[in-house]
Amino acid sequence: MDLSLDQTQQLIQESTRDFVRGACSRDALVKLDKDPAGISASLWPKIAELGWMGMAIPEEYGGTGNALTDVAVLYEELGVGPVPGPHFSSGVLCARLLLEAASEAQKKKLLPELASGERVFALAATESHYGWMPEHVRMTASKDGSGYKLTGRKVFVHDAMYATDLLVLVRTDEGITLVRVDARAAGVTTRALDGFLTSLAEVSFDKVGVSAADVIGKPGGAWDALQLAMLASAPVLCAYKVGGCKAVFEMSLQYSKDRLQFGQPIGRFQRVQDHIIHIVNYLDAARWTTYEALWKLDTKQDAASSVHMAKSVSSEGYLRACDFGHEVHAGIGVSREYGLTLHTKMSRSLYHCLGAPKEHRKLMEKVLGLLP
Amino acid sequence: MDFAIEDSPEQEAFRKEVKDWLQENIPPGIEHSVDPKDMTYEQYQIRRELGRRLGKKGWLYPTMPTQYGGADLPAEKTIILYDEIAKTGLALPPYYDAGGRMAAPTILVWGTEEHKNRFLPPICRGEVRTWQLLTEPGAGSDLAGIKTTAVRDGDAYVVNGQKVYVGSSHGADYSWAIVVTDPKGQRHKNLSWLMIPMNLPGITVVPMDLLATGGEGGSGSGVKNSVFFDNVRVPVEYLVGGENNGWKVATTHLEAEHGGMGRLADRRVIYEFIDYCKERRDGAAIIDDPAARAELVDLYIESEITRLFALRNHWLSHTGQPRSYEGSQYSLRRKLSGLDISEKMLRIAGPQVLTKDERCGPLKGMVEYFVRDAITSLHPGATTDIQRVIIARRMGVGRAEREQAGALR
Repeated sequence: MDLSLDQTQQLIQESTRDFVRGACSRDALVKLDKDPAGISASLWPKIAELGWMGMAIPEEYGGTGNALTDVAVLYEELGVGPVPGPHFSSGVLCARLLLEAASEAQKKKLLPELASGERVFALAATESHYGWMPEHVRMTASKDGSGYKLTGRKVFVHDAMYATDLLVLVRTDEGITLVRVDARAAGVTTRALDGFLTSLAEVSFDKVGVSAADVIGKPGGAWDALQLAMLASAPVLCAYKVGGCKAVFEMSLQYSKDRLQFGQPIGRFQRVQDHIIHIVNYLDAARWTTYEALWKLDTKQDAASSVHMAKSVSSEGYLRACDFGHEVHAGIGVSREYGLTLHTKMSRSLYHCLGAPKEHRKLMEKVLGLLP
Repeated sequence: MDFAIEDSPEQEAFRKEVKDWLQENIPPGIEHSVDPKDMTYEQYQIRRELGRRLGKKGWLYPTMPTQYGGADLPAEKTIILYDEIAKTGLALPPYYDAGGRMAAPTILVWGTEEHKNRFLPPICRGEVRTWQLLTEPGAGSDLAGIKTTAVRDGDAYVVNGQKVYVGSSHGADYSWAIVVTDPKGQRHKNLSWLMIPMNLPGITVVPMDLLATGGEGGSGSGVKNSVFFDNVRVPVEYLVGGENNGWKVATTHLEAEHGGMGRLADRRVIYEFIDYCKERRDGAAIIDDPAARAELVDLYIESEITRLFALRNHWLSHTGQPRSYEGSQYSLRRKLSGLDISEKMLRIAGPQVLTKDERCGPLKGMVEYFVRDAITSLHPGATTDIQRVIIARRMGVGRAEREQAGALR
């Protein structure tokens, strides 16, 4: 038993911290949040250059083949920002999905370019009847020669505005099928959604042609591959939320010392202390459920129950940590300049990603043998 | 990271050694009562015998130095030992003994060589059982406000006063206490930490009638007592850590009591309750109800988070990592999640969980005891509110400096 980070992980942690402190300071991220171009122009080349997009990809496909826990350490620090952008969608979720679903030729062609950051992938899975269960995939693709034609709409697609390539989940005669679509192809329209959310988009498809070479893996076989990819990716996303909780904790702790009211730091008031205790409790619950799930995955143990739990605990924890952060900060907390709302918005935006807590708890019923 | 309690061949060999040893040395005839209060004197004696055998091996308090009767066991092996004993339905120590769990680490930090040689070997070898005397009728959370006095008179301290919520069933050989040695002294600088042989004249023990006994994990204590001191003469050499320095000494064992040591949680009741809910009785099972299934998942997650906090603290304390708020965080979590789980059990399974009647209630009263004990567990080792105060201080909320955790072995 050893709950510390190994040497590689400590190096990853340090270098990511340096990056976030430098290029992604709170001021820089507040500015970025207002920039309609988002992360793509300024930050993406740096992120790609650091090799982060290849960490979850084996060496034979141009990556560095790191353990999931290594990748999670990176994402925990990115979550501290929170550094927005398609890094998770492309470098973890779509990378894992291609590894699980794609043919050898497709892997050889797509993964090295994904690892280098030349290609940016986003997963277009969810629709207006939102959810991450098979019944939520309703968009159909019709047979068109040896390929398909796509018409329909995907919503709440994470990071689609940054993507060069979309992996689209559709229903075909064979079942649930995954296809690759060029994000700039004729008939594809991506519209970033405005509101209390970060990097979510609607993607419409109007008679978009898909060649046989762009059908990823076997037609009808996408759901099982997606399950495996989600199982491995979800805890990495959880680690990002752990980082978010950590940032909210540190901000709130600092504010409890700096802010004076009634002639003393507000942290002297036990009511204020209680808010911060809630935050640290959510932080640590998210942290240890997440890293235990990652350890199980890295050591090839049955991880389903742990992953569902971590996803449920960290999604709720990040959201509530932000809420308690707002109780501590009061007025200044809702000023967009201050930076707390970047987390608040992120905690909402990621709450449903890869399945809401309610769905993961439902899946746990099965794993725990509770279904009659 | 590695969350596994067992991995290397060396550890595997140690696990086998422990298993074989336990099989050979656990005395026959051990019976488990759901409520520790129901443990008979005979059953207590069997556990003491096991304690002595463990003590001879250095395994009763395995992390203590070998020269004082421990085995200097590293974290990896200690965890295996705890784990294997838990599998037999017992805990380490196999009976309530505040002496080894909290006094021994304190003496190790604050005692003179003479204190260590006098007190530690009998505790570590299981030859004596020790209680702690902290709370008084007028001093609970405000422990520094105690009134029991120990006034120096020649070669002895003369002790007068009353301590409450003390110890267990079936008596003790020693107790240690926080006492006032300077009645006119400044608060926090008027206290001392005193070992008291329980066979001295003038000590009266009266059992209290409580809902349950609660506690900070380990073996249940059975009953709690009031202990009265009437001019009890304790030799001066039984004072540990210096006269009027008792508050500082107390921070060490309070650290242990506040959950700093971390224990591997026994979650048998959780698993057995879940199995009970799956069982089909007269054609129906509790899990037929979707709302009950959802609550069972919540209950499971609650207990898992508590397990992970305990595991983290266990690792922190046994590998000598710096700690700050983690002890109290675990304790707070354990108390509140226990209460929360007990309420969920009530909602999920109905009034059945309130009876220990074998025909009408589940698991021979195990759940009834759990829901009763969850309420009692809110106060021992500091209330939830005090735990919050400690967490906030340790994190440095509203303070420039973080309060340091007490030293612990």
